[in-house]
Amino acid sequence: MRKKTPFSYFILVLLLIFGFIAFFPIYMAIINSFKDQGEIFNSVLAFPTSFRFENYTGALERINILQSALNTLIVTVIGLTGITICSSMAGWKLSRTSGKLSNLFFIFFLSSMLVPFHAIMISITRVATTLSIQDNVIGLGFIYIGLGVNLAIFLYHGFVKSVPRELEESARMDGCGELQIFLRIVFPLLKPITATILILNSLWVWNDFLLPLIMLSNVNNQTLILAINALFGEFHTDWPKVLAALIMVSLPVLIFYIIFQKNIMKGIAEGAIKS
Amino acid sequence: MAQFTRYHKKHRSMMEKISDQRNVKYLLLFVMPAFLFYVVFLLVPILGAFYYSLTDWSPVRPNYNFVGLNNYVRAFTQDPQFINSLLLTLRYTAFVFVLQNVFALGLALMIETRGRSKAFFRTIFFLPNMLSLVISSLMFRFIFTNVFPELSERPFLGFLEQGWLGNPSVAFYSILIVVLWNGVGYMMVIYLAALQGVPQSLIEAAMIDGAGGAKRLFKVTIPMIMPALTICSFLTLIRSFQIFDVVFRLTGGGPGRATQVIAMNIYEEAFSNNFLFGYANAKAMIFFGIILVITLIQTFVMKRLEVES
Repeated sequence: MRKKTPFSYFILVLLLIFGFIAFFPIYMAIINSFKDQGEIFNSVLAFPTSFRFENYTGALERINILQSALNTLIVTVIGLTGITICSSMAGWKLSRTSGKLSNLFFIFFLSSMLVPFHAIMISITRVATTLSIQDNVIGLGFIYIGLGVNLAIFLYHGFVKSVPRELEESARMDGCGELQIFLRIVFPLLKPITATILILNSLWVWNDFLLPLIMLSNVNNQTLILAINALFGEFHTDWPKVLAALIMVSLPVLIFYIIFQKNIMKGIAEGAIKS
Repeated sequence: MAQFTRYHKKHRSMMEKISDQRNVKYLLLFVMPAFLFYVVFLLVPILGAFYYSLTDWSPVRPNYNFVGLNNYVRAFTQDPQFINSLLLTLRYTAFVFVLQNVFALGLALMIETRGRSKAFFRTIFFLPNMLSLVISSLMFRFIFTNVFPELSERPFLGFLEQGWLGNPSVAFYSILIVVLWNGVGYMMVIYLAALQGVPQSLIEAAMIDGAGGAKRLFKVTIPMIMPALTICSFLTLIRSFQIFDVVFRLTGGGPGRATQVIAMNIYEEAFSNNFLFGYANAKAMIFFGIILVITLIQTFVMKRLEVES
């Protein structure tokens, strides 16, 4: 039924131009990561004469990419596990309990979503020092829990409303404890919103820069983004090596994107519309 | 019968009271873990930030004194760089607010007209958003310093010959380019989801009534996706006001301090120049206050627009 009018060709051309602009920087980074300094000097636009992996091995020697990847993974896993468990429990009970106390808690969590990170940036280092979790990967994971629960509680709270109460209530009649009801019955029912929350938060924690920058100083504690940042500070004229490192660090995210593309987009749209 | 109901009511309310008490216990139990993390890492820091904003605390000195509102007065009267960065951030936010939403909605509308190629374009436009802002900025540093100079030698592309990072007035737009490149895809996804919800029958009805493309867009489609517009405006406002990563890695706030946004100004005050934690906290509180006001105004305006449409 789609008409092939000149206008529709015009749109296609526009889309192709924009698509080219969107992809061009990534393409440039990829091809130049295989060149040596001389080739880059001659032309950055030309296709590399051969695929040299020296830049990749060179970048690997400079940054301990495995250690940084492990650190990032630890922070992300702790943060995400904590956010999911704490917020699903709280979101469920807050949604199911009426009364002033429940509302008070909910408003308390909700209002904090307006706090910009920069407002707490300085005193959070103080809190971390007091708790002796400064420059500590696990501690950083805990901080993400504290910063992430408000949005997650909000999303769980909204989702629980659409889950029927009957199952919980009949389990309660059968003498099931609240924790058991939550673990066996409620949590599995929350799966769709849990997926959304996991996706939104994993992108946030994995790509975050400023919080790790002020919390972690030891080289062995660096996250991937911090490692890249340090590498650039050291070799900012050695572009092939920097670009190779950028590609390597982006690879896990791109694989994640290819596999979960649909879920990611759904998650973003849902997360946005519900808030 | 009436008596029974009364008895029943009384009985029920007693039962409810007992179950309410149990509910409160479980409510506290289930909310506690989240609440603890929240208090320690969000509530205490924000209260701390306010408290320290009234002091001359600096980590390089052993003690601090209470100085009242001096820090706030100083920020507004004796710190032209702070005012500059505030104005710069406002200008930047205005640019991103308009451009990001126009591009995102435009792309979403164009993609919606496609058939099979829809998924392909969606994938391409969203791709940059997957990369962290630090990585995007470094990639564009390479584009600005190496690729654009070479491209500018080609015919018609001479305009790419600019001091992208070195010229104070151009550097502002360089930051915009990176932010838009990275961020448009995100908003586009939200708009796409909203467009899915516009019933085809409504658009067809408008077509039968003889409404042209532009009229259909402004009278039917946009009013239908008003909630998405509200959300995207909100998100772009909040995020642009807090911009840090791109400036930090692309221009470092330079050349000179030409692109020093407010978050960068606070960061420098606290962590790289003076270590004046008390003063930096006062600036952070001002920053927080402005965000609060902007958000409230924005929500108010958008809600009114939603009601009207």
